[in-house]
Amino acid sequence: MSLAAEAFVSQIAAAEPWPENATLYQPLKEDQILLSDSASSLAVQTFLRMCGLPVLVSCRANAEYMSPSGKVPFIHVGNQVVSELGPIVQFTKAKGHALSDGLDDVQRAEMKAYMELVNNMLLTAELYIQWCDDYTATEISRPRYSNPYSWPLNHVLAYQKQWEIRRKMNAIGWSGKNLEQVYEDVSQCCQALSQRLGTQPYFFNKQPTELDALVFGHLFTILTTQLTSDELAEKVKSYSNLLSFCHRIEQTYFKEHEREGQFGSSRHSKSSLP
Amino acid sequence: MAAPSELFCWKAGLGLPSVNTDCLIVLAYARFSGAPLKIHKISNPWRSPTGSLPALRTKEEGSCSQPSQIIIQLRKQKYNADYDLSAKEGADTLAFTSLLEERLLPALIYALWVDPKNYAEVTRRWYGENMCFPLNFFLPGRMQNRQLERLRLIRGNDALEAGEEAEKELYHDALECLNLLSQRLGSNKFFFGDSPSSLDAYVFGHLAPLIKIQLPNCRLQQNLKNLDNLSTYCSNILSLYFPSESKEGVGRPVSSTQQGGDFDNEPYKRRKQLLSVLVAVAAMLSYALLTGIVAIEHMQEEHVGPASLRGPSHEDEEEE
Repeated sequence: MSLAAEAFVSQIAAAEPWPENATLYQPLKEDQILLSDSASSLAVQTFLRMCGLPVLVSCRANAEYMSPSGKVPFIHVGNQVVSELGPIVQFTKAKGHALSDGLDDVQRAEMKAYMELVNNMLLTAELYIQWCDDYTATEISRPRYSNPYSWPLNHVLAYQKQWEIRRKMNAIGWSGKNLEQVYEDVSQCCQALSQRLGTQPYFFNKQPTELDALVFGHLFTILTTQLTSDELAEKVKSYSNLLSFCHRIEQTYFKEHEREGQFGSSRHSKSSLP
Repeated sequence: MAAPSELFCWKAGLGLPSVNTDCLIVLAYARFSGAPLKIHKISNPWRSPTGSLPALRTKEEGSCSQPSQIIIQLRKQKYNADYDLSAKEGADTLAFTSLLEERLLPALIYALWVDPKNYAEVTRRWYGENMCFPLNFFLPGRMQNRQLERLRLIRGNDALEAGEEAEKELYHDALECLNLLSQRLGSNKFFFGDSPSSLDAYVFGHLAPLIKIQLPNCRLQQNLKNLDNLSTYCSNILSLYFPSESKEGVGRPVSSTQQGGDFDNEPYKRRKQLLSVLVAVAAMLSYALLTGIVAIEHMQEEHVGPASLRGPSHEDEEEE
């Protein structure tokens, strides 16, 4: 969002309380959504649950096109539409709900840095595996991404998305990497997160923050999504404190709602942690 | 580790040991870890082993161009500036490096390459003056296009153009990042204790261009002046690890090879050669014209019609 729009949205946001019918939009869970989008969506859902804000999850085939920035998920609150975790955190802060207020300056710097680490390494690795690995792209990503559309639109859209992601990988210097190196990067990222977490319940001791939501979103999705190979999940599983971190958050924030089907299983993902 | 590896990077300029962020990162890391590298400071990216700068060429492993890969190579050769870091500090290094790349780097690319005034007066001028002929005509423009595309892809915004809105957004993010870095650094000499590490190399590489290069149109630089500890940090690293460059300002490269000297003189040498060749060809042509064709016209005026065909040969025989 541009700065002017952000300031405007914050002003409007501060005026009204959080409504009951706030909705989160994401692509179709069963057939369409991919690993990276699912991770981002779960991160936002976790963050909102941590804040105690109710939100309904609505699956739409054209969620990506509805979003103001082109990225999913996005939330529709009152008469505002906000996409991506960063702006959503600011939006909820303007409404008076924030998780990171108790942190001092150095801790806030670290939190932002680690969030960027997850975006920079983990999310990029997920995108790479989905779209730049030919086998995964052919077997999983392209069929799923273009599932709601009929021929020939499905081919056009899928290849267009793949080309766009590959261009991005090129621009940030990831196109020269092979799959092994990407898995190695994921491992390094997980090691850094594991080191930072240590034996604490959350990254900043007792209180969960948006960093916890983001890390949970990504790690849980990686652990419960079936890809062409299990190597990605194995990399995460080798860090036991990250596994228990995911269990803990799942138990605390999601278990009581499981029966409502918000967190249901699909052919693509398993329902709970192994 | 038989022979030292060779490092190719952009030469010094604009008050810095190298004008390019990635080259600065690699140079700083090499100095921090004490790696004995043979440094080639050049201004022609086509002469590097990988086609872009910086580039590290080792005997065993070939060449690589990404700063992170170069640092990994140096670590493999046992030149490790992160040796004393704890595991948590290593994790912080990764995190803050990601912060720099996501938040500060886009603003840096914008300030140097996309903002029209800065590009015309500083960046293009320096590259145009320091690259050899004829690359200086088209290569800076090509680099600018690549940097703009890179910026667009990093930000995920294909419609990004030079303008107020993009500038505000990018500088706002960058200022936030700088504030975070300043808070993390505090009053320490380096980010982790008393000796510099790879994070210091990354921060230096991104920060030094913003602090040292005089850009005519960069609000970010004015905001940076308020963050004293970052300016002191940069000056500190420059004076400790790049003493000769910091004294001279826009000086000659310190460790240049025999190739460096040639590149400095070469644009003028080639221009002179080309001009002299052109002058010689023009002289020969004009001599040919003066002796040949002028004579033909003269003949045609005096003798009408059929004789004109035999005219030149007749004239040539007479002259010879």
